[in-house]
Amino acid sequence: MATNPSTYSPSQSSERKQLQQQRRRLFQETDWTRFDGRGFQQCRPAFLKTGAASAASGSAFAAFGATKVIVSVFGPRESKKAMLYSSTGRLNCNVSYTAFSTSIRGQSSDHKEYSSMLHKALEGAIILETFPKTTVDVFALVVESGGGDLPVIITCASLALADAGIMMYDLVSSVSVSCFGRNIVIDPTSEEEACQDGNLMITCMPARNEVTQVTLTGEWSTAKINEAMELCLDACSKLAEIMRSCLKEAASAPS
Amino acid sequence: MEYVDSLTGFRLDGRRPNDMRQIRGEIGVVAKADGSALFEMGNTKVIAAIYGPREVQNKGQQANNQALVRCEYSMANFSTGDRTRRPKGDRRSTEISLVIRQTMEACILTHLMPHSQVILIEFLVHILLKFFMYFLPKICFLQIDIFVQVLQADGGTRSACINAATLALADAGIPMRDIVTSCSAGYLSSTPLLDLNYIEDSAGGPDVTVGILAKTDKVTLLQMDAKLPMDIFENVMQLAIEGCKAIAHYIRGVLLENTKQLECRRGI
Amino acid sequence: MVGLSAGEKHFIYGGIAQDLRTDGRQRLHYRPISVEIGVIPQANGSSRVRLGATDVIVSIKAELGRPSSLHPDKGKVAIFIDCSPTAAPMFEGRGGEELSSELSLALQRCLLGGRSGAGAGIDLSSLVIVEGKVCWDLYIDGLVVSSDGNLLDALAAAIKVALCNTGIPKTTVNLGASPNDQPDVDVSDEEFLQFDTSGVPVIVTLTKVGRHYIVDATSEEESQMSSAVSISVNRHGQICGLTKRGGAGLDPSVILDMISVAKHVGEQLMSSLDSEIAAAEASAEDQ
Repeated sequence: MATNPSTYSPSQSSERKQLQQQRRRLFQETDWTRFDGRGFQQCRPAFLKTGAASAASGSAFAAFGATKVIVSVFGPRESKKAMLYSSTGRLNCNVSYTAFSTSIRGQSSDHKEYSSMLHKALEGAIILETFPKTTVDVFALVVESGGGDLPVIITCASLALADAGIMMYDLVSSVSVSCFGRNIVIDPTSEEEACQDGNLMITCMPARNEVTQVTLTGEWSTAKINEAMELCLDACSKLAEIMRSCLKEAASAPS
Repeated sequence: MEYVDSLTGFRLDGRRPNDMRQIRGEIGVVAKADGSALFEMGNTKVIAAIYGPREVQNKGQQANNQALVRCEYSMANFSTGDRTRRPKGDRRSTEISLVIRQTMEACILTHLMPHSQVILIEFLVHILLKFFMYFLPKICFLQIDIFVQVLQADGGTRSACINAATLALADAGIPMRDIVTSCSAGYLSSTPLLDLNYIEDSAGGPDVTVGILAKTDKVTLLQMDAKLPMDIFENVMQLAIEGCKAIAHYIRGVLLENTKQLECRRGI
Repeated sequence: MVGLSAGEKHFIYGGIAQDLRTDGRQRLHYRPISVEIGVIPQANGSSRVRLGATDVIVSIKAELGRPSSLHPDKGKVAIFIDCSPTAAPMFEGRGGEELSSELSLALQRCLLGGRSGAGAGIDLSSLVIVEGKVCWDLYIDGLVVSSDGNLLDALAAAIKVALCNTGIPKTTVNLGASPNDQPDVDVSDEEFLQFDTSGVPVIVTLTKVGRHYIVDATSEEESQMSSAVSISVNRHGQICGLTKRGGAGLDPSVILDMISVAKHVGEQLMSSLDSEIAAAEASAEDQ
């Protein structure tokens, strides 16, 4: 981006609008460069670390560019008394945002559905039969929201589950792509997400080649879905490699 | 505002003071329910669905020696003129749920739907060993759920709900003393008016809602807002009872027609 | 909740494997769809769609509002779905809220397009009266009266029908003297504008039971599903939204396969819906 002015003043809404329109025009052109200088098919640098919160049975921290997420996993622990007996374990997911996660305080709007999306993405990977009558709680906290929040939350949550020693079929990794006109852009930032034409998010278990969750918005042709899915799946398997090496590192480190 | 035209004696919607709105009942509108019915009174349109008799879901609520009757009243977002998103379980709907539940409970033969297993198991306890006591917690108490959903509200939803619930209970084959019907009457412009619509209802005058057991001629529900002199109240209530009887006559016709159709289908 | 015995489960699985389901349909056949329009007189548009024993009512109300500052050239659309306890006792009290919000969200995702508004089924810019000042707020309220599986498809179809039936009142605008004034808007009682509904997609839900997938699952079949993918398809064969339910994973190639099947089935559904709408409109005019 352009050099920041030394004094800071919140941008006026008209100014912001103008900026947005400018950007939208920019995105319609065929060759533009991304604000952070990445290529279209280049993900943000991923930093993953297990053991971020000591009180939890397992936890992980993930920073993908500006997006920073902490996930802690508690359990398996006894289900609440009111719940009926169940021969399989229960998974309870909750996603929350810090008040300072977005540039305007307390304006992280559409994340009400994230908790249920996180649940749907993870439940297929966890072997719930291994902990009957008990509940595993997954609490995700988005420290800073910089776009592509949900994929980061899901990836980080699966790492935290692995750290907690919950039995899983495979690690779950997740990547989203945005579509602008004819271009497909991987791992969008929040600026890009704000003016995207469509979005595709895939959550998969790379070793089993299974998709646990997929959402799509906007208008897509089949060919484009094909292309985007391939891109996502490839990125997912590479992300899983990073996750795996992170876990190995944590295990081999002297405690 | 003039609710009854002083010259012609007609009401705002063209009815005479003791005219009821057009009523229509239909049985079996919700396929998955044990019994269901739709009831229309003019523009007021409600659906009632019955689930049960089935095992009591919440053990804390079970009553002794009789079936448990429960009721929930809900209004669709689009049921009123201006669209409002109302939370579930607000005061008004809780109150109406209670009114409907009490009215219907009075006519359902709840003592006929006990837990037949109780007698059997008690018998076993007497003649067999004591460890049969372990089976006692398995006694199943029954409950009947009445769900009423208002699709359109144009005054008299309470009455329409009770009438729909009666039809639905009959459809579900639940034993009842008699059919309960309900109708409202009001007193505006010094005239007793039968079956108030929304405009008349919101005029703030007295509004008497009556529910009767048609055959035995007993009142099971009586509610009134505002105040009325004693002698006029008698007139207004008499009018509402006449309305109830007319509805009872219609409902009986609907049920008879339905039974005939069932007979036809069975080939009797 | 549907309680099924081992035999019944086996029967459902076996039937689907042999392409003959318990109600005699094939895997990719819908139940007969019946459509009624104008069921809620006080709404701008309304419809009732029955898909077998699934019964939903959708009403559309247009109210004057202010466009949001981010999109001054667009109207607003909100979708709310309610599950009535008449449909199932488990929806009693707050029991239906989870499903309601899930359905609302899925419909919003499928009908309203991407963040920039591209690919939306409803043309939001046609709802603007004065840019940045006055627009129509469209409230889409759905009510599930009776539920026998496949609620999402039924609701999407009902919304499509209701939009066809919707008349937005004609307006005349008197702009105020200064540009900052809130303009006067006269809403006509007699003249209504029809909505362009050609872009509104339909949703096809493919439910995977055993090794096969089926469309329009009944609640018995849904209780046996491993996962379900809802795909919204518009008239041009473009995919407008996709959501997945159920925990079990799917092979990526299966998803692509499902998309192409959904496109094909969606075309049939759309044409049968069109003829039903025409029939419903004709019968409404007769009355």
